[in-house]
Amino acid sequence: MVMDLKEKTKTESIYVPDIATITEIKDLTPTEKQFKIKIDDPVKRKNFNFLPGQFVELTVFGIGEAPFSIPSSPNNKDYFELCVRSIGSVSAALHRMKAGDKVGIKGPLGKGYFPYEKMQGNNVVIVAGGLGMAPVRSILLQILEDRKSYKDVTLIYGCVDPQSMLYKDEIKKLQESKELDIKLTVDRPDNSWKGAVGVCTNLIPQLKYQPQDTYIIVCGPPVMYKFVIIELEEKKYKPENIFLSLERRMECGVGKCNHCHIGNKLVCVDGPVFSLWEIKNLKEAI
Amino acid sequence: MLYKILDKKDFKDFVNNLISAYEVTAPKKISQALHDFFPIKSYEEMDLSYKRTTLPPAKKMLFPSNEALASYTVGNNIEVKSLNESKEQLLFGVGAWDINGMNFLDRIFSTDFIDENYMEKRKKLKVIGIDAEPSDANFASSVGSEFAKEGFDLFLSDIGDKYFVRIGTAAGAEIASKFGDFLDASDVDYSAYDRQMDLYKNKFNVNVNLDNFFENFEIVYGKKDLWEKLAKSCFSCGSCNLVCPTCFCFNVRDDIKIDLAGGIKSRQWDSCMISNYGLVAGGHNFRPDEANRLKQRYRCKLKTFVEKFGQYSCVGCGRCVEACLAKINIYEDINAVKEEVSI
Repeated sequence: MVMDLKEKTKTESIYVPDIATITEIKDLTPTEKQFKIKIDDPVKRKNFNFLPGQFVELTVFGIGEAPFSIPSSPNNKDYFELCVRSIGSVSAALHRMKAGDKVGIKGPLGKGYFPYEKMQGNNVVIVAGGLGMAPVRSILLQILEDRKSYKDVTLIYGCVDPQSMLYKDEIKKLQESKELDIKLTVDRPDNSWKGAVGVCTNLIPQLKYQPQDTYIIVCGPPVMYKFVIIELEEKKYKPENIFLSLERRMECGVGKCNHCHIGNKLVCVDGPVFSLWEIKNLKEAI
Repeated sequence: MLYKILDKKDFKDFVNNLISAYEVTAPKKISQALHDFFPIKSYEEMDLSYKRTTLPPAKKMLFPSNEALASYTVGNNIEVKSLNESKEQLLFGVGAWDINGMNFLDRIFSTDFIDENYMEKRKKLKVIGIDAEPSDANFASSVGSEFAKEGFDLFLSDIGDKYFVRIGTAAGAEIASKFGDFLDASDVDYSAYDRQMDLYKNKFNVNVNLDNFFENFEIVYGKKDLWEKLAKSCFSCGSCNLVCPTCFCFNVRDDIKIDLAGGIKSRQWDSCMISNYGLVAGGHNFRPDEANRLKQRYRCKLKTFVEKFGQYSCVGCGRCVEACLAKINIYEDINAVKEEVSI
């Protein structure tokens, strides 16, 4: 569960990562790779129990560290996955690594997660934009592994173009399985594209679920939130049932460096997942 | 809290005794106009008449501008070792506002996750405070930090030919009994101390009215024009952050050692006024311009920690006012916020 603060003993600095091994690398798109990661120490691996929406601080030794949310299912106890776009110094270095290479892992981090316990017995709508698919995949997989505990589930996923769509094969399989309703949209379609065109905000008005038994999960680029929230509020979905995973610059991941603060909240410690109710009046959160 | 008296004729011996037992860091005159805290070897090196020091002493000692956090080997076999340098030290002659600044850092570094790099140094630091002379820009009395309630082992107040000494910790009591000739305070001493405290409060030239700032700030938060006006001259140099006793933002970086066999993880002070403070991979900047950054600095100093800890994170030392090349002035800006609301 959430990292127990008391577990950190005197000798164990909050800045020292655990050693982990990349066991498998898969190309997801031309710019994103999936890394399967296993913590070396068997005791630490066993204690690495994360909640959907939590993240890790990953160190590429000699290069730097950066936060990445965990897209794999919390039910996998032996390993976890990361979905990484090569875009900064750490992620580019990670893309140059191969299976068997070592990285440093600090985590799981963040008190704010997608509250799957509350969502059971309700409808769930997941709205993901671009790379925002990665953080919500953990809750999506967790729901699918316990599908009968939830009512209807809808995934709204928007991308720039069909090539940049993450987890394409999985989504295709899910579409066939009818376990959930999947609405896909792209900004720039190609000839073979059969889904909607435009931003994912456009698909929200079609939702048929009633506010009293519906939970919403939102994750995407910073610009997306404002417009998605306008649409969700238009449909009268309750702010305490809307959960957003926020992105900010993080240097330490453990609430000390202060870079990710938004007013009195720290995204790394209090988040990264917040309910809309918590941050609605928090200036500059959205 | 214990109250004692130290005669001024015994003061020199007391300091020299401390120097023989501890590494004592005290205010030193370093140029015509400047003082700073440095380790001293004799009583004569110290100058307690300082009005301000460029850097806040506690932050300098407990949270160095560049600090190694871990070292590791690279290659097939990676081993990480945490680095944490600390030693017994004594900080002498620090003013109440700087003690309050340190108390704030104590709270930051011990909340949620415990930062051992800071806390180890803090646990080994003895603090002896003094009613220091406020500088012309000091407005500590306006934010309630002209008086230190805690965070010191001993605190000295000048009451004429003797010091009235507040003993804040057991370690302080031990220092007093071991290294100085401390006497019990008499009723006369208590009333002298009372009078001195009233006089001391009047030494602060700048008085800032922060009444309603908490609410007013909310009201003017969205007024882009106001913030652009206030931040117009900002160079985004970050001087205000570097000299601030309560600024604690830092970056974490990894560097490879020159022999390529290992690396170091370290932290450096960062500044929320610098343009890349809120920059994330991919190019989005959450704090894109000077106006936004100045506004968020004031929010951090005067609002955020009122909500979180019930206190301002500004101790009113006035260092940022004196360090700013563009003459941006926090208490003038507090007044500007007040004016904007009253319009």
